[in-house]
Amino acid sequence: MKTMMGPTFERIAIGQTLPALTKQVTVEQIRRYAEASGDRNPIHLDETFARSAGLPGVIAHGMLTMAFANQMVTDWLGDRSRLKRLQGRFAGMVVPGDEVTCSGAVAAKHDESRRVVINLVVTNQRGEKVVNKGVAEAEFPPQRSDTHAA
Amino acid sequence: MTDPRWVGRSYETAPFEVSEESIRNYMTAVGDEAGNGELVAPPTYAMVYGFDAYWQLWTDQEVALDVAHLVHGEQRFTFHRPVRPGDRITTTGRLTAINNRSDMDLVTFELTARDAQDRPVSDGTALFIIRRP
Repeated sequence: MKTMMGPTFERIAIGQTLPALTKQVTVEQIRRYAEASGDRNPIHLDETFARSAGLPGVIAHGMLTMAFANQMVTDWLGDRSRLKRLQGRFAGMVVPGDEVTCSGAVAAKHDESRRVVINLVVTNQRGEKVVNKGVAEAEFPPQRSDTHAA
Repeated sequence: MTDPRWVGRSYETAPFEVSEESIRNYMTAVGDEAGNGELVAPPTYAMVYGFDAYWQLWTDQEVALDVAHLVHGEQRFTFHRPVRPGDRITTTGRLTAINNRSDMDLVTFELTARDAQDRPVSDGTALFIIRRP
């Protein structure tokens, strides 16, 4: 995550798309997320319980999908500490076997604050949105004055 | 039905000691293992250090949320600074809205996380949807 690998603020253009990120969601990954996050709600882990709760079966944590969206943005930024805001609406369930793709585009750029706003969406393999109204905001460090020298 | 009178109730975590192991477990779980310099947690690691606030809400016997029918509807975060091993973070979560609809309850939970020097680390807002069976 070296900052030098990310884009420079000056070169970012409104409308520019971010490299998409695709992830396969598995039962194993959901289990691992439950362990790492502490969220062991049985709707994510126990098939019988999930069905009794009216779900098609176990579902992925919404926050696992949001972590993918987070990664798409920070992979592009090249520096996790530049991400200042992240939000999204969980529009559809993600189940084991799904392949989800995060995509985003630059929606606004603020020269004064050196902030960039990104609209993002996560879709499944059928093209259905599982996260919509996604927004991320990144802040870029001040331009180094010595780059103007010489 | 979730009783709106619990709006205002808040929950605080014990200070969460951020370790390299905990960050790496999270990175492996979500598959975000990039990084060749100083270890900085993925920003959504906020769900890990703040988890106990959610847990206290979900298991509060008086509020008695129907967690079997609870799904995450929306999430918003603001990140004030990067999180690294050695940080000591306390998160406070507060029920700020409970709206009863005909077939569901909408529950809003707002969280603030602060470090050992009481400086802001992150803020979060979760909207939970509780379907009525």
